[in-house]
Amino acid sequence: MIDNKSVGSRVRIRVTYGIVFLLGLICLLPLLNILSISLSSSAAVSANRVGLLPVDFTVAAYRKIIDDSQFWKSFGISVTRVILALILNLAVTVPMAYPLTKSVREFKARNIYMNLLIFAMLFNGGMIPTFILVRNLGLLNTIWALILPGALPIFNVILLMNFFLGIPHSLEEAAIIDGANPFQVLLRILIPCAKPCIATVSLFSIVGSWNDFFSGLIYIQKPEKYPIMTYIQSLSVDIQELLKSGASVNALENVTELSNRNLNAAKIVVAVIPLLLIYPFLQRYLITGIVMGSVKE
Amino acid sequence: MKNRLWKKIMAGSLAAAMMVSLTACGGGESTGSAGGSSETEAAQTGAETATSERETVTVRMGRQTLQNAKLPDGDTYEDNAYTRMAEKELNIDIVDEFEANGEDYDRQVSLALSAGDIPDIMKVGSLDELEELYENDLIADLTNVYETYASDNLKAIYDSYGGRALANVTYDDKIMAIPATNADSGPSIVWVRSDWMDSLGMKVDEDGDSCITIEELETIAKTFMEKNPGGADNVVGIALASWITSGDPDGTYTMNSVAYALNAFPKTWYERDGQLIYGSTTEEMKEALAVAARWFDEGLLDPQVGTRTWDDITALLANGQTGVTFGTWHIPDWLLNNIYAMDNNARFAAYAVETADGKVNCKHNDATAGYMVVSKQFEHPEIVVELANLFYDRLANDPSLLETYPEVAEYQKQGVDGSTRPMNVEINSYNSLLEGFGQLQACLNGEITVDEVKSTEEKSNYEGITAYLEGSGDATGWAKYHSRLGGVGLIQKLTDDDTFEWLTPVFPRTTSTMETNWANLEKLEEETFIKIVTGVLDVEEGFNQYVSDWKSQGGDTIIAEITEQMH
Repeated sequence: MIDNKSVGSRVRIRVTYGIVFLLGLICLLPLLNILSISLSSSAAVSANRVGLLPVDFTVAAYRKIIDDSQFWKSFGISVTRVILALILNLAVTVPMAYPLTKSVREFKARNIYMNLLIFAMLFNGGMIPTFILVRNLGLLNTIWALILPGALPIFNVILLMNFFLGIPHSLEEAAIIDGANPFQVLLRILIPCAKPCIATVSLFSIVGSWNDFFSGLIYIQKPEKYPIMTYIQSLSVDIQELLKSGASVNALENVTELSNRNLNAAKIVVAVIPLLLIYPFLQRYLITGIVMGSVKE
Repeated sequence: MKNRLWKKIMAGSLAAAMMVSLTACGGGESTGSAGGSSETEAAQTGAETATSERETVTVRMGRQTLQNAKLPDGDTYEDNAYTRMAEKELNIDIVDEFEANGEDYDRQVSLALSAGDIPDIMKVGSLDELEELYENDLIADLTNVYETYASDNLKAIYDSYGGRALANVTYDDKIMAIPATNADSGPSIVWVRSDWMDSLGMKVDEDGDSCITIEELETIAKTFMEKNPGGADNVVGIALASWITSGDPDGTYTMNSVAYALNAFPKTWYERDGQLIYGSTTEEMKEALAVAARWFDEGLLDPQVGTRTWDDITALLANGQTGVTFGTWHIPDWLLNNIYAMDNNARFAAYAVETADGKVNCKHNDATAGYMVVSKQFEHPEIVVELANLFYDRLANDPSLLETYPEVAEYQKQGVDGSTRPMNVEINSYNSLLEGFGQLQACLNGEITVDEVKSTEEKSNYEGITAYLEGSGDATGWAKYHSRLGGVGLIQKLTDDDTFEWLTPVFPRTTSTMETNWANLEKLEEETFIKIVTGVLDVEEGFNQYVSDWKSQGGDTIIAEITEQMH
């Protein structure tokens, strides 16, 4: 191995690492900046003096968050949403993916289902019809409005289906010969083998529902019921727009008092923590999950 | 326009019908209007004629909320001191159909429209929306309820705009909305660090008319740059936000005051010699840009102009990198207070920039901003007028109301945001700013006592300012001292001295070409202006090219369309 490394290839590796390192920095620096802003005094922040290190270190912003009841309410709503959505996603993704691994001979309607899925992945009702549907189902302002419209993540179904297809067919045959029914095959053979892929789709589901703010803006019509990301989004204020819309001086005072970048940064930091905690545990499956799921025999 | 909305609604309901039938589940709410509710609680007051006679009415509302409304714990937009007062006084039950901030609220309004079910009473932000609602016959004609129920004081408020306020919401002789008023906000004021001027022994405005010339403005900025009284690094003479000019006369962090002093009215439609023109395309505008370009060339203008955001400029001021800025009269309350927080010695003087003949150009605002509409299905349209009476007449003029509802008085004291009122618009008389200021000043001069001051706001201004003048160092007092005695004081002085030269602009509705081309034209304007100011484009050539591009890319058509609209 070592002999194979010519000078040229070593330089190439160095350069590649250099580029990867720079790209990594580009992702990391804004986060670092937000973190330092959250730990700086608000005067230093409004004077634009905070770069990568906190200026006038203080945890005042975090103390304030502890007392912010709406923040924690929204945080709780998001946690509930993530758990419910994860359970529901897995409960429909796995049983959907397995039958689709069968050939048309074994499962006659397979292609119809497959085409329906792909159709629904490419085309959807659009914002307004979906809103009207959710509204007429009486789901507005409930947590289900955030969960049900995305209950079946089709991309994940296809990913999992391809992963199942990648598992040697003989495993399944052996189980059937030993007398396993399809449910047992799925539960005892395929799911244990597909753990990396299930971890991956779980990660997608968790990140997706934690970070989604838009459905909260549409389906939740009371700010006190906003999930965390919608709540954070609602903190950003367009002062110019507000000035144009003839806002009162009192409103401007109240709003600018809030557009406290230091406090908002702290909220962002706290809101990212759950994902930071989950990532390390699921991330090691990520690459196997996606790569294995993307090829089939 | 009518067809477009109908198509939207039809397509929406068709899709909904399909989806509902697909899922075989016709969920939910009845779409009928809210009638009288079950509660037959005796009406508490006899103040309103209609109120005591009717049963409790449920009112479904669309409410535009504000971040940080400062509601006390436990109170919400749907249930707070203001709504409780309204419910008791008017014998109604307020239910919020939807609540959202700013633009998110507009989206909720569109969604409600497409679902074909608008709340009983809601606010819409623009005349375009109001017109669409009217043309699609979704909102009630309020002419009769306004005539019958509006109190004399409320009518007087609208009359103070000389009919302009109600004219905006009148279609085919029918009043279709209760509009929020939008009084004139005065010029874009030049705010100068007076503590720096004092320490440098500078004198401007020798004649004491509170007006400075463009040359004086340059001298101030130059001296600040050279002497650097703030002791800051990277000193900047004059900083402007990236949009450079504003359509509002009082545009904050813009060069409006300089442009106006040169008789240019950027982003403004107005008539000159019987012709409709767009202010950003005039010769005067070219001259104003030439001044800014010269500043840039001389290093007086911030070299980073064009990339500065709102927060950046606040930071420049807070760091003491610059000591001159532009903005509306109330920026000390919410922007310049950041500078006081950094430097307790900071003081600002307010000046207007005068034209060559010693006048101060200013323009009128459109008389309305924000509109309360009532669904055609709603059986009690008079409630919207009664709400307006309650909040803008009785609450302002009848002190006994605050005694009956002490929690409302407490709200006003604590500065709970006005958007928590069920009518979250502002309805004030045209002269309310100067009238309030007159009382404040009389009170400060000891001509009247605090108790004689009518509004809670001016009372707390008085208290803040007195505390500040006594040396308490109170930040709110500092802000109010500057915004009222500095900002409003300047407007009062210019009004008294008859220095203002008022322009009455044309306020067009969005025309069809504007819908398709306006975003591009705006972009063209702002990009060109930045390029001219920073010297990328030659003033003469660049501007002429811009004007001809502007005209050919839809500007001429739009002018024709607006002219059509006006006649």
